[in-house]
Amino acid sequence: MSTKYDPRLAVTIAGIYFNNPVLGASGTFGYGLEFAELIDLNRLGGFVTKGLSAKPLAGNPPPRIVETHGGMLNAIGLQNIGARAFVEEKLPLLKRYDTKVIANVFGYSDDEYIEAIEILNDGEGIAAYELNISCPNVKEGGIVIGNSPTAAARLTSRAKQASNRPLIVKLSPNVTDVAELARAIADAGADCLSLINTVVGMSIDVNTRRPRLSYGTGGLSGPAIRPIAVRMVYEVAKTVDLPLIGIGGIASTDDALEFIIAGATAIQIGTANYYDPAITMKVIDGLSAHCANHHLQTISSITRSLAQ
Amino acid sequence: MIDIVGIAETNEEIAPGYRLLRLALNQDVEVRPGQFAMLKPRGVFEPLLRRALAVYRVDGPRRVSFLFQVLGRGTEALAQIGEGGEIETLLPLGNSWPIPSNEERAIVVAGGIGSASVLMLCEVLKQAGVDTRVFFGAANARAAAGCGLEDFRAYGFPLVLSTVDGSSGERGFVTAPLERLLKEGGGRGATICACGPWGMMKRVAELAEEFEVRCIVSLEAPMGCGFGVCVGCVVEVKTDGPLGYGSYKRVCTDGSIFNAKSVRWDISAVGH
Repeated sequence: MSTKYDPRLAVTIAGIYFNNPVLGASGTFGYGLEFAELIDLNRLGGFVTKGLSAKPLAGNPPPRIVETHGGMLNAIGLQNIGARAFVEEKLPLLKRYDTKVIANVFGYSDDEYIEAIEILNDGEGIAAYELNISCPNVKEGGIVIGNSPTAAARLTSRAKQASNRPLIVKLSPNVTDVAELARAIADAGADCLSLINTVVGMSIDVNTRRPRLSYGTGGLSGPAIRPIAVRMVYEVAKTVDLPLIGIGGIASTDDALEFIIAGATAIQIGTANYYDPAITMKVIDGLSAHCANHHLQTISSITRSLAQ
Repeated sequence: MIDIVGIAETNEEIAPGYRLLRLALNQDVEVRPGQFAMLKPRGVFEPLLRRALAVYRVDGPRRVSFLFQVLGRGTEALAQIGEGGEIETLLPLGNSWPIPSNEERAIVVAGGIGSASVLMLCEVLKQAGVDTRVFFGAANARAAAGCGLEDFRAYGFPLVLSTVDGSSGERGFVTAPLERLLKEGGGRGATICACGPWGMMKRVAELAEEFEVRCIVSLEAPMGCGFGVCVGCVVEVKTDGPLGYGSYKRVCTDGSIFNAKSVRWDISAVGH
C-alpha cells in the first residue's frame, strides 16, 4: 500500500486512538522491538507486551511448546523481564515508533497485580493496560481469578483504581459462561474487554506416556480455536456495551473480519506472528481492500454487524 | 534477519531419509557458520510452524543449502518441495561459531544430522588455516553418507568416522575416539565445537571438563518462531543464585551456540 495510514481503518477504544485495529497479541509479540527488522512498526495499530509481573520470572522448564493440528500448545510459564526492566529498558526504545503499546499485566495475587501496575504507571509511552486474568499456566492466581466472576470483578475494580491508564481485561475461554464473566468485569469498571486467551489443552507422547509439555497441560492457540473465539466475542457483544478486542487464531484478513462482524472493534493476532512475522501488515492491507471492495467509510461501521 | 521466499533449485535425497535442499534467494544474505533459518513451504497450512534448519552451506550471497533429516511433519512437508517450489525463509538466525585463530586448534565433533551446523565452520577453519580434526559420528554407513560425510572429507582434515553399528569406520559412539585423543593430550590449546544429539553433547561436555578443554556446543530445540518472541525453545543454564529470570536461555536468539560449561546437562532434555 502506498499510503501509510488508511483513515478508514482508524478506531478509538476507551479514548485511545489507533491508526488501525490490528494489534500484536501478548506473548506472541515479545516487547515489540523483536519485530522492528521484519515489519514497519509505525504501520501497526499497536501491540500488547508479553505479560509483565512486578518481579522478573523464570518460567517453566522445557519443553514449553508443542505443535498440534491447526495450532500449538504452550506452557511458557510467563517468563518475563519484570515491569521495572520493561519501563527502564524497553519503553525508551519503543518511543521512536508510532504505535500503541499496551502493557499486559499479571500476578499471583491481587496485590502483585497492583504492584506491577504501580511500577508501570511510572512508564512513559504506555497507552493502556491489559489485565491477564486468564493465563492457564500458573498454578495460583490467573486461572482462579479468571474463572470466577466474583474474583475477576474484585481484581478489576482494584486494578482500575490503581491504574492511571485505560484498563482492558482479557477473558479466559475456560469458563462455563463467558457472558456472565464479561458482565461482572464490565460492571467492575473495565474500559474494554479482550478475548479470548488460550484454551486449556493437553497432548500426550504415547511412547513415553508422558505429557508433551513439562507442565502437563498448556494453552491451545492458533486457527484451531478461532470458531470458539468468534462465538465468544459474539456472545459477549450481545451482553455488554464495552468495546471488544477479538483474539483467537487470526491468520488472515477474513479471520479478522469475522471477529469484527461478531462484535470486535479491534483484533489481536497471536500465533500467526510466529510462522508469518509480517501477518499484521498483510491484514492491515487486507482490511483496506475490504473497505474499498465493500464501499465502507470506516471499518468500525461493520463492528457488531452480524446479519440476523 | 530477512523474511523472503526462497526458490528451490534442487531438493535431492542423498541417502534414505536425508535431503539436500538448495534455495535461491532474491536478496543478499550474510550467513555466519552455525546460523540457521526457519523454513516452511509457501501456501501450506499444515504444519503451521516453520522448522529450524542449520544453514549447511552458502554459495554466494543469494544461495543457501540445508542438509536435513526427514523426521516429522515439518521436514516431510519440506521433502515434498520440488524444483522451483517456494519456501518461506527467515534468516539468518542465532549466533555463530567463534572462529579460533590459526595459533589455536579446533576439534569438530559432528553427531548425526548435527553435522549440518558445522560444515560451514569447517570451511572457515580451512580458510583460516586452523589445525583442525573432525570426529564424525552416525548411526550407520548410510546415515553417515546422508549427514554429508563426503563433504567433510573434502576439506582434507584428519577425520575419524564412527558408526553405532560398525557398518563404516569405528564401531561405537563418536565420543570414544574423542576421549582417546584427549587422553593422549590432543586437546591442549584446542577448542571443541560440537553439534549432535543431546546425549552426545553432554558426553563431549563432560570430557571437555575432565581434560580442561574449551568446549562450545550448538543446541537444538523445538521452536515456535526462531527470533526470540515465543520463548518456547529455552534451555536451562547455570546461574549463581536460585532459579530466577535468566535461568532459561532461548536457543534461537541467546544461542543456538553456547559455552558447554553454561548448560545444565544434568537436567533431562525432554524433547531433545
